[in-house]
Amino acid sequence: MHGRPRKAPKPEDSAALAAKSQKLRSLQSQFLSFHHGCTYSKEALETSAKLLEINPENYTAWNYRKLAVEHNVNECGTDPDSIKSIFDEELRVVENALRQNFKSYGAWHHRKWVLSKGHSSMNRELMLLDVFQKLDSRNFHAWNYRRFVTTLMNRSLEDELKYTENMIEINFSNYSAWHNRSILLSKQLKEKDKGLSFQDVLSKEYNFVRDALFTDPDDQSGWFYHLWLLEQTIQCEAPLLLSSWPANGADLIISGNGCIHAATGLLSGLPIDLKRFPLILYFNQSVEGIDSSTVNVEAEIYSNKDLTWKPLSPRNSCTSRVWVAYTDLSGIDLSSLSPQRIRVRLGHCAGIMSSNGFHLNKPVNIEYSIAGKYIEIEPSERQENEIFSWTDDDSYNSGELDESSPIALYMQAVEDNHEAAASGWHIDIVTEEINHFRDLLTIADCKIGKLTLARLLIARDGMISPLRNKMAHSEEVLDLYRDLIKLDPPHSKFYKDQSSLVLLQQLISSRKALLKYCFSYKGFKSSQSVDSLVCLRLNNLSLSRVGSFEKLLWVQFLDLSDNELHSIEGLEALQLLSCLNLRNNKIASFSALEPLRSLKSLRALNISYNEIGSHPVDTRRYLFTSPISHSGDISWKRDEDLPDGVSMENYWEAFIVFKDLDLVQMDIAGNPVADEKFQSFLVKISPALKWLDGQNLH
Amino acid sequence: MDSSTSVTVTQKEQMMVEQRVFQIYSLFADLPPNSQSFMLEIQRDSHIDYLTNGLRGLGSSFCVLDANRPWLCYWILHSLALLEESIDEELENNAIDFLSRCEDPNGGYGGGPGQMPHLATTYAAINSLISLGGHSSLSSINRDSVYSFLRQMKQPNGGFRMHDGGEVDVRACYTAISVASILNILDERLVEHVGDFILSCQTHEGGIAGEPGSEAHGGYTYCGIATMILINEVRRLDVAALLDWVVFRQGIECGFQGRVNKLVDGCYSFWQGGVSALLQRSYPIISGLVASESEEYSDADSTLSATSDIPECEHAAIGGSSLQGDNEACHNNPEGTRDSSAPTNLNDVGHNFLEWKASMGPPFNPMALQQYILLCSQLQEGGFRDKPGKSRDFYHTCYCLSGLSACQYSWSGDLGSQPAPQAILGPYSNLLEPIHPLYNIVLKKYHEARDFFSST
Repeated sequence: MHGRPRKAPKPEDSAALAAKSQKLRSLQSQFLSFHHGCTYSKEALETSAKLLEINPENYTAWNYRKLAVEHNVNECGTDPDSIKSIFDEELRVVENALRQNFKSYGAWHHRKWVLSKGHSSMNRELMLLDVFQKLDSRNFHAWNYRRFVTTLMNRSLEDELKYTENMIEINFSNYSAWHNRSILLSKQLKEKDKGLSFQDVLSKEYNFVRDALFTDPDDQSGWFYHLWLLEQTIQCEAPLLLSSWPANGADLIISGNGCIHAATGLLSGLPIDLKRFPLILYFNQSVEGIDSSTVNVEAEIYSNKDLTWKPLSPRNSCTSRVWVAYTDLSGIDLSSLSPQRIRVRLGHCAGIMSSNGFHLNKPVNIEYSIAGKYIEIEPSERQENEIFSWTDDDSYNSGELDESSPIALYMQAVEDNHEAAASGWHIDIVTEEINHFRDLLTIADCKIGKLTLARLLIARDGMISPLRNKMAHSEEVLDLYRDLIKLDPPHSKFYKDQSSLVLLQQLISSRKALLKYCFSYKGFKSSQSVDSLVCLRLNNLSLSRVGSFEKLLWVQFLDLSDNELHSIEGLEALQLLSCLNLRNNKIASFSALEPLRSLKSLRALNISYNEIGSHPVDTRRYLFTSPISHSGDISWKRDEDLPDGVSMENYWEAFIVFKDLDLVQMDIAGNPVADEKFQSFLVKISPALKWLDGQNLH
Repeated sequence: MDSSTSVTVTQKEQMMVEQRVFQIYSLFADLPPNSQSFMLEIQRDSHIDYLTNGLRGLGSSFCVLDANRPWLCYWILHSLALLEESIDEELENNAIDFLSRCEDPNGGYGGGPGQMPHLATTYAAINSLISLGGHSSLSSINRDSVYSFLRQMKQPNGGFRMHDGGEVDVRACYTAISVASILNILDERLVEHVGDFILSCQTHEGGIAGEPGSEAHGGYTYCGIATMILINEVRRLDVAALLDWVVFRQGIECGFQGRVNKLVDGCYSFWQGGVSALLQRSYPIISGLVASESEEYSDADSTLSATSDIPECEHAAIGGSSLQGDNEACHNNPEGTRDSSAPTNLNDVGHNFLEWKASMGPPFNPMALQQYILLCSQLQEGGFRDKPGKSRDFYHTCYCLSGLSACQYSWSGDLGSQPAPQAILGPYSNLLEPIHPLYNIVLKKYHEARDFFSST
């Protein structure tokens, strides 16, 4: 398969060719007869050696030689010199074979076999490798062999790093050398006990790679390495809890219908499913090891052991930035529940770990209270019978929410929960990089340089303010992306997505800023609706991606209409979400709505006027970070007959998304997919649906 | 670093290749339309001549590739099958006879008669026999002995050895699993821990390397992801990172490179293009629509247990055998509802894969790739090459044609259907046979083999 044939023989005259093949054929048959006869004489060994020097791919001959070595070693007893000479002969044959074809799997493997027997000196190996690695510096056989030999020799990481350094100095485009450097450095960073300072190691690396990048910014190898290095720098820190829901200090009052109140009023007026009352933890990097032993929840109304923690991540199943545990409050009589203090402690013991092996080491305590409330009317009934009018701007009142509203109190808790990150050497390193790249950009108009500077600035802001309350460099970053969109149109969508994320961070960086986007909703006509609903309106902002979810865990009613969203990745963190307006965006497939699958409280969804179904296949799906995600529970009961003419195979993506949601209201008009057939399919798979595109279904 | 000579060898070579490629493209752009369409045409007759001559020549001038002879058979026979060309009976019988002489009495095929059995040549021999098709070819395969050879090559760490005493790598895993899957002999004992081994080879770049610690590489990435799909564990890979890696391997020359900062090479049209074709169709498997019995690592959450409750026939109902209107077959399934603890039959994965429609567009530019293959890799006198300036060979002919077929069908929701004319660069007569992207066997031949091996 990868043993590519070497170049076809040059058109020699046919007689010479025939003679050559005649010779090879007779060698081959001679060899086979020795092999099948288990003859390991000197002559037999020579035959196989000749054959291998012509054709190193002959793995049968290599195996024959292994058998011969074992046989002859047995014969010669315990004399170390004769044993050594048997193995040395093998090394010689391999070397000759490699000179003929240094991409031969069989030859390299034979050499590994010989050395692993431990009778040969390894002094020659590095010299030999040096020759081959200079002939073809990207040969992966040689690099693999190098990693094998240096491990066997116990050669120090420092020496090997030095070797890659030399290779890079000869040719800084040699990506294999950079790659091996990343492997070696990962090992070095893991050897924490050696007392190496991360700071020194990383800062040396930045200097080194910068030399290559600044020599020729158009060469890609160093940039890949730089990106990897920045990732290591960011992850070189213990994970941090950014926010939680309920937040520290929150006093929640819950009525029997699932509505959540703060001490001074209704939070949003939308009921949540009491069977799945969430406790959400949001970290600054992906972590694993969240369970009832690492997170201790003290509460009287339920037991810590009953909590099952679940990662909210479409990716790998065992690590995530967001974790949730549900408690079932439905069996508790909330009308008379006195305030319950709940204490959540984590970081008091090891076990919560980032992907780079750093433990959450600072203990975190979250305390909040839950009390029940007696209510006379049942707003949940109201909600089910009444339709949201999504688009009527008169329904949203601004100005009523101020710093004294319950929402503000809630967000206060979000902010207080977070301490500013300590300053540190990694901030200094990134700051220094930023200065260098600013310099570079004054002399060269370099796309990748601009992108890297933007990444560095974002990284620095994130290190200084993990919750991104102070984004000192937002404007500069946005300018860089604006430039990049102009300079590099083929990747403009990527830049647009990145700048949307930064823009959103900027817009909601503080509680005060966030309050500007909070409105009270008065859309219900019915006189019973005395409570106002709080809606976060991030509409009409030209966003193509949304983020900053760590600040939005409390949101129940979210308006993202009139943006340019093609993905809602990350929205799965908003476990309380009941109403979501995505009208007039650029969602192109149901799979792009996959985060909705874990939002079990979602009751009203508006996805009208998107692009679902406009392409037979979603041409933009690959733009998502996670186009194809991990998820589980799908089943389709055979007895759920579909309406006539509707075939499951056309709608399986919609089926995956909506199957387990209890939507009461949905708007889908204005998408190519939304024909009558699809509507009847939706009604079939969503038994709770009462309103579809403004029509009452009952 | 010496800044006075800032151009590295790598950069010099890259510039030379770009220059050559762009010369061809600008020459092409200046041609009158009728000459342009000639240049874009697949020179079927010359390719067929080149390939059949190669097959006849087997055994005489090709003994330099002595340990790879079944590979030559596969490269040639598969290329011919892609061109929808059959070979005459005598040649066919010779090929079957030759391959059976490569078979080891204890199972598996070697690189030539008398050589030890080897996994890669076993894959090549079996794919050759399937590409030939027909009863005598398929019945020449001894599945019991192939199975026992595969078992002998299985390693405790989950991987496979290429041959007795040989190397353990991702290639060995793919060739073993692919062969077992297509011969309907894949079982738990072969699959055990293969996924762990492949997972240990996915690098921080996103692609998959040949062995742990090595750099990501197109050929191994194809082998790795195809294996993970065949054993129903593709969800364990970081698929998003893999996709990220593969999309950036298509360069301005329009073809694919195999590794970061390497030169373009026609053969990666299939290795990287094939990865894309696999990703386009893996959504149902990755999203859990297909029951996977690899739940132990995925999540202990109770909601997941529903996954294995899906009766087998329902995959078909959701996926698309109802395309042929045979929902009936589903309800008449004598097995009825599967026991919830019973795993999906691993041997059906490759077959079920075809029933899933592509759920995303091609994550690369198929038109550009066709342009590279037709204008830069194709030789008018027959055969394909790595890049301009190199000479043709059967390996590149096979993988350029396979990649071309993958491009042509990259917009087809469903692999069996005819692609739209706008998906084909050049005249519509350029259309090749579709392949099964997991085995790289022409689809028709795959179906024939599937029927043969599931009925015997």
